[in-house]
Amino acid sequence: MTIIEGMMSGFSQSVSLEVFPYLFVGSIFGLIIGVIPGLSGHFAMAMAVTFLYTMEPAPGIAFLLGAHATVAQGGGLTAILFSTPGTGQNAATLLDGPPMRDKGEAGIAVGAAMAACFLGATFGALVLGLLIPVLREVVLFFGPPEVFILAFLALTFVAVLGKEDMTRSLIAALLGLLLAMIGVDNVTNTFRFTMNIDALGDGLNLVPVILGLFAVAEMIDLWVRGGTLARDVPKALSARETQAQIFQGIGLAFKNWWLVMRCSAIGTGMGLIPGLGSAPASFVAYGHAKQSSPDKDTFGKGNVKGVIGPEAANDAVEGGALASTLAFGIPGSSSMAILLSGLFILGLDTGPQMLNQNVDIVFVMIFTIIIGNFIGTLVGMFLVNPLSRATSIRASVMVPVLMAVIATGAFAGDRAIFDISIAIVFGIFGYAMKVLNYSRSALLIGFVLGFAVEKNLYLALLLDGPLFVLQPIPMMLAMITVLFLGWNIYTIVRDRKPRISK
Amino acid sequence: MRRTFLKSAAAATIAITTLSFGTAASAQDAGEFYKDNVIKWIVPYDPGGGYDEYSRILIPYFEKYTGARVDIVNMPGSGGMKGAVEIFNSPSDGRTVGIINGSAMVTNQLAEIEGANYKVGDYNFLGRMVADRRVMVAGAASGIKTFDDLMNNGKTDIVGATGLGGSTYVDAVITGDVLEVDQRVVHGFDRSGDIRTAMLRGDVQAMWGSLGSAIKGIKSGDHTLILHGVKNPTGILADVPSIYDIAMKMEGGDRRVQILESWDALSAVGRPVAAPPGVPEDRLAFLRDAFAKAMNDPEFVAMASENDRDLSYASGEDMARIAKAATELDADIEALFVAAIRGEI
Repeated sequence: MTIIEGMMSGFSQSVSLEVFPYLFVGSIFGLIIGVIPGLSGHFAMAMAVTFLYTMEPAPGIAFLLGAHATVAQGGGLTAILFSTPGTGQNAATLLDGPPMRDKGEAGIAVGAAMAACFLGATFGALVLGLLIPVLREVVLFFGPPEVFILAFLALTFVAVLGKEDMTRSLIAALLGLLLAMIGVDNVTNTFRFTMNIDALGDGLNLVPVILGLFAVAEMIDLWVRGGTLARDVPKALSARETQAQIFQGIGLAFKNWWLVMRCSAIGTGMGLIPGLGSAPASFVAYGHAKQSSPDKDTFGKGNVKGVIGPEAANDAVEGGALASTLAFGIPGSSSMAILLSGLFILGLDTGPQMLNQNVDIVFVMIFTIIIGNFIGTLVGMFLVNPLSRATSIRASVMVPVLMAVIATGAFAGDRAIFDISIAIVFGIFGYAMKVLNYSRSALLIGFVLGFAVEKNLYLALLLDGPLFVLQPIPMMLAMITVLFLGWNIYTIVRDRKPRISK
Repeated sequence: MRRTFLKSAAAATIAITTLSFGTAASAQDAGEFYKDNVIKWIVPYDPGGGYDEYSRILIPYFEKYTGARVDIVNMPGSGGMKGAVEIFNSPSDGRTVGIINGSAMVTNQLAEIEGANYKVGDYNFLGRMVADRRVMVAGAASGIKTFDDLMNNGKTDIVGATGLGGSTYVDAVITGDVLEVDQRVVHGFDRSGDIRTAMLRGDVQAMWGSLGSAIKGIKSGDHTLILHGVKNPTGILADVPSIYDIAMKMEGGDRRVQILESWDALSAVGRPVAAPPGVPEDRLAFLRDAFAKAMNDPEFVAMASENDRDLSYASGEDMARIAKAATELDADIEALFVAAIRGEI
């Protein structure tokens, strides 16, 4: 089967009556899972996989991947409206989404986020399709030395995020790196910073940490402050106003198409790198959006570009993440491991066999991502109105309800009561950081990338020795990192001067 | 004084209640007890993994023969220890069972790893679903086609492994020690898939793993099967040297084979289904019977083979013996294993 034939067949299968209903149900299921804080794509797929035993391959894939594809969309919705990221990927959306809501622009933010998700997912899926002939080479490009330096490069984006207060951002990022070290060290079996608590042996889970740092901290803030979630908005937007804003937001996403493309490329690229995960991609995209924008000062105060960037990236990740799973049958993340076993249940083999003989199935996946996100965008638009009304409910009612939802979300991933306490501890900590003006995003980036940096540094040192940086590709990447960091330090010094001379 | 009295009174009450419940339970017919009851089936790993998959394909048949509803509860953590501990400490009324990573639980217990709060020998086993067939593969990029190549290519080859004490690590270290392989074991990979990627890139030359997870790569030519630890090899294993043949030919072969036998005893524990200690005997007998029937249900067997899933059933009684053999090793061999698990070799 040639690639063109596979593409045609994949498309006609995706929209056929046997497949489309499953795709539709899967997408809506994913959207709902995304809206619930703490439940991630991983969870949606894990639930969906149990239905596959009686299904045919194409509908099964559409259902499974549809459920995974729309999760970040649903998560963006709650990030903007309730300051509660539905999944880890949406944490970066918190930087500018809620401020827009407070300005009474919730509809614009959501519209822009939804459209950016759709465009990002489409970008990522198309890149995956284009890469099929060279997929194996692309995946093998990244070994431990390359991943180490790329993770380090991503870490330097902290510099962009926290430009206003570099010292505090660095403190937060380093603290994040330290938090990543909690747990049993895979290499030496040593218990690090576990304080004799057994449950810390596996390290801190990402979901309760994010829920704590952002969602619980916002709830504490709201409780202390009183009033309603949408701060400066006297009364809820009417349905018509919201609708108009959504279309305005969608328009803005298309108007910033070049930004969408660049952030999608960042997302897809980071998805291709094994072991980085999707949360860093959205932060790096945010950093890039801020870096490249002429109106840097308005970021963090409700700039729509700060919503478009990360939301485009966190859906573009999908296409990249699928690459190693499809090319070699080697999953790059826990979600992809579930996808792989789902394919296995459906009787499909991944790896070269799939790329050669079942390329139509690969295109069913690609079209599932695109169509699924389109459905997510449409359905999401209808969800905005009822949900946005909830943002004008007063704190004394809203906080207990949302806290119950957050606690459930923290618990659900691993069914661990301990994770609820993690969320609460990090909530208090996050609130303190917010009050004292430390960047929670910087901490999160350090935390998320800590694993990848440490593990790959260790493997690179063992496999290639201390001079691994001198190999051509790592050398080139290292130079880019140094240049990027140097440029940032230069701009910081440059921007600071006038103020000093004043 | 008064407190002591209260305490003993409370203890007596508890004892009496337990006793009366105990007799009531054993009087009740086990089949009657399970009919329309709920059995909790713990899977100590995430949904979608091999353990989860094995459980999900078996459960409809287990339900058929017990008459109970079986609920899967995924409980990942501490490399499968969290779920294993949960099963071990759950109420012994026979309503909680679970699949465990038997071999890893034995090695963790031997090495007294923190969190190994269970005794493999004390579980009530329903039986075993499968035991991994351990194989060594070499990546296509390494140029190694046979075990002889690995031994005689004039360089120290790198064998990849996951965490310290994980099966990929213990296999590599023990067999390397026994066969005096010129190798360097690099561990610290997140999952076995990452080692496979490293083999494809040529960063790592070889790895140990289960045949089930290696078969796809062998078929596609990503890596070559060079050695296995199976005593009665069939299928594609038949043409590949077994580790016993090689050890036997070496100087002091008996001693080497003896160590490998213990290593094999560990693999034989495989993936058993276990209930906590203290389950009433009639219920245990009923569960074992239902498990045996489910595992041998022709429809189930057909489905497993259709899905390329190995099965190697062992009865609950046999499993008890297998677990005992694996946990009661000769002192010097146990010391060797413990050193291997702790990364001291």
